[in-house]
Amino acid sequence: MTYHQAKYDEPLIKDIHSGTDYKVPAVSDKEEELIPRSLARQTLNLPDVAEFDVVRHYTRLSQMNFSVDIGTYPLGSCTMKFNPKFADSISQISGFSETHPLQDQGSIQGSLKIMYELQEYLKEISDMDAITLQPLAGAQGEFTGILIVRKYLEDIGELGKRTEVIIPDSAHGTNPASAAMAGFDVVEIPSDSNGMVDIEALEAVLSDRTAAFMITNPNTLGIFDRNIVKISEMVHKAGALLYYDGANFNAIVGITSPGIMGFDIVHYNLHKTFATPHGGGGPGSGPVAVKAYLKEYLPVPVVSMENGRYFLDYSAKKTIGKVASYYGAFNMLLRAWAFIRFHGSDGLLNNTQKAVLNANYLSNRLSKTFTIPFSPLKKHELVLSTEKTGKRALDIGKYIIDQGVHAPTVYFPLIVHEDMMIEPTESASRDDLDRYAMIMEDALKEDVEQLKKRPLNLGSRRIDEVKAARDLKLKWN
Amino acid sequence: MSDERSAMLEAMNMKSVDDLFSDVPANMRKKSFRIPKGISEYDLIEEARKNAAMNRYEGYRKFLGCGIYDRIIPSSVDSLISRSEFLTSYTPYQPEISQGMLQSLFEYQSLISDLMGMDATNASMYDGYSALAEAVRMAFRINGKTEVLIPETLYSGKVKVIESYIMGLGLKLVRYRYEKGSGFMDLEDLSKKINDNVSSVVVENPNGFGILDENITRTRETVGNALIISYVDPVSLGLIKPPGEYDCDIAVAEGQSLGIHKSLGGPLLGIMSFKKEHVRKSPGRIIGESVDADGRKAYVMTLQTREQHIRREKAMSNICSNQALMAVAASAYLSILGKSGLRNVALRTASNMKRLIETFRSVKGYNPDLFSGRHFSDLPVQSRISSEDLRKRLLEKNIQGAIPFDSLLPDLSRTYGNTSFFSVTEKHNADDFSALKSALEEFK
Ligand SMILES: Cc1ncc(COP(=O)(O)O)c(C=O)c1O
Repeated sequence: MTYHQAKYDEPLIKDIHSGTDYKVPAVSDKEEELIPRSLARQTLNLPDVAEFDVVRHYTRLSQMNFSVDIGTYPLGSCTMKFNPKFADSISQISGFSETHPLQDQGSIQGSLKIMYELQEYLKEISDMDAITLQPLAGAQGEFTGILIVRKYLEDIGELGKRTEVIIPDSAHGTNPASAAMAGFDVVEIPSDSNGMVDIEALEAVLSDRTAAFMITNPNTLGIFDRNIVKISEMVHKAGALLYYDGANFNAIVGITSPGIMGFDIVHYNLHKTFATPHGGGGPGSGPVAVKAYLKEYLPVPVVSMENGRYFLDYSAKKTIGKVASYYGAFNMLLRAWAFIRFHGSDGLLNNTQKAVLNANYLSNRLSKTFTIPFSPLKKHELVLSTEKTGKRALDIGKYIIDQGVHAPTVYFPLIVHEDMMIEPTESASRDDLDRYAMIMEDALKEDVEQLKKRPLNLGSRRIDEVKAARDLKLKWN
Repeated sequence: MSDERSAMLEAMNMKSVDDLFSDVPANMRKKSFRIPKGISEYDLIEEARKNAAMNRYEGYRKFLGCGIYDRIIPSSVDSLISRSEFLTSYTPYQPEISQGMLQSLFEYQSLISDLMGMDATNASMYDGYSALAEAVRMAFRINGKTEVLIPETLYSGKVKVIESYIMGLGLKLVRYRYEKGSGFMDLEDLSKKINDNVSSVVVENPNGFGILDENITRTRETVGNALIISYVDPVSLGLIKPPGEYDCDIAVAEGQSLGIHKSLGGPLLGIMSFKKEHVRKSPGRIIGESVDADGRKAYVMTLQTREQHIRREKAMSNICSNQALMAVAASAYLSILGKSGLRNVALRTASNMKRLIETFRSVKGYNPDLFSGRHFSDLPVQSRISSEDLRKRLLEKNIQGAIPFDSLLPDLSRTYGNTSFFSVTEKHNADDFSALKSALEEFK
């Protein structure tokens, strides 16, 4: 299959001049009577375009945008699975989409019920005791979780001395960024030769200065760290808390859980595991669950139920406060609820198995051509290195996108050279995987010069990123 | 097991799916999984509809606002952001195959910068409140000073989010007063509180009382070198002076009004614009223009060295996923409305505010004239009966409104007892006001 993406010379919306035709009901009052003269705006530049041309403009732009619905999109760590259309339908029910966050709680019982049920489902999936749906992305969930660590340590009188958060070198960049935002010093530790937490290195840095250890399991190499229970004991013995980055939940739903592994705090990425659409970068949704002893620290409100009545519960005594305007990205929560209800415990487990099967199948085949470091048994994703092929991951990626499938994540995690991180998810069929592997193998048949010319079939050719940063142009005038 | 699965396992010399999980020790296996079994799409949608029907929204006249507004959304906006090319894509890590989203976001940055009168805008923040809190952090990164002056009229929800965001920085929040008569910011009090340690001063327009603050244009002369952070209602900017015209450093807003459904308050759109010289200290993703190998104009994420995936603990923010789709909605909305549309929406809102005030004035037992300043969308009204009572009774008359004053501004609730907020947008018409009036008349 050869691929040709649309390639329009699409003008900027401001350069289309067909004339605004939007109708607003008329106003009889004069501006001077309505707003203070001293605040009156003199000039306002907005496009002057007919609605139809706006529709055409964005439709054409959309055709220059690759998406899950177009083809395989195995971007590692991002869990780009099929976003079911039933969730679209449900999210458009006006009883949900037209509710106001500050309306009487008696009039939003249906929405609160959905949130309550989602809270229960997510707790069951993670084997944690209490949860907030408020955080608006995984990274905000991390930040919330580390603030909970902070408040807890403050309460037990140890915040003064526990100033460090330990993070493995394979961790996602949001982990250290979130820990630092919450005021902690980040201590990075290396991975061992199996790609797992280096126990000795961990031992060496754990101390009464440690506030928390943040990890994901399976980690960003797609490897399940079987020492996790031991790690949990070590961390807790040192008086620190164990934080679970739930970005890789898709590998373990129904099999094991952070609660069982001994974690104290967990965030979920609903836009990954529970298939809420990624929207070209967002919105996401990043609920945070905790063990019972941290329940009182969660942001408020959470949704509680008494005698069949749902309500926004502000009672948490030691709450960190709030991290977002209201109660979370409701529309995303609703979609995640729908996903869990549709699949059920049987379907969720089935999805996990298929996701892991797919990653291993692909890993098995690609290991014949590329170097795949560490354990051959993967969970939801695999990380390979292109170093020995003499071709750069960046260039191979550009070959891949030229074939109508999306490239893997490249150059992350930072601990493998020239790496590509591939997460097929349960949505890929065997044919998808075979074709993807073939494309990756074919990429090596091109010489370095040919690869450098890629891509050829897309909305644009290779883009000069250095120029973008040097001649900074962030808006149209 | 399906044939495909068996064949795939066989290709790997595995016998069963269990082999794939041999690395998860038996004592770590989940013993129970108490989630109901899956159901069909039809049953699911029926169940969702039943739940939706437990919400009350249809047949109600709504006067709810205070940050989230019931505005008219052109159908084209919903249609465009439902396109799965946008909806089911992710952050444009491979720019050549993602030019559509990149150009859309570049246009968003441009439209918002023009609307705000600011030099630059990032590719979105999570929501208005966290954008405000991130602005406070950004100001600290710029000047390293440790006091933040915030208005007494700032909703407690905003204060709480700021407090969370600065927990690790050791910043101190200091409140400055408002003028009792006008409801504007009290410049005298503000000037007293200004000192060399002040990092930033937060101003709002409209402010927490819903008032268009006529003192805002004198902020700069009052605060000297402190950075000005302005929180605005983007729709009001169709009529009102933008932050760029009063020398604001960082402008933030909740963008929900720009074509996004209320959805119980999420997803929303955090807007953040800033002066050029602050770009490198800004949080979040940002899109820049460049060229491709053929010399054609092309767009790409830029200044990534500010971001978490490169700078890790030294990053300007931890933002990875943002609100890209909501930014596209806002762009489509602004493009469809154009200058005349946005201006008219703002005008009609202000005009409906006049009707709302007249409605309350015409019924005994209500005081909509707590301040002499002009309101835009939100109006605090004092009543003889309690806010809670008013809200309940209105609900019985199929009217939603009366957001309790003390739920937003608890620290000022002693001064304004029995006070509730009522809000308008361009949607309201004569029927709404007469329905409100007759309801109010019945229970004075
Ligand atoms: C391992 C990991 N952790 C955290 C995150 C951050 O999540 P979000 O983008 O929702 O903020 C990601 C997302 O890409 C991730 O892959």
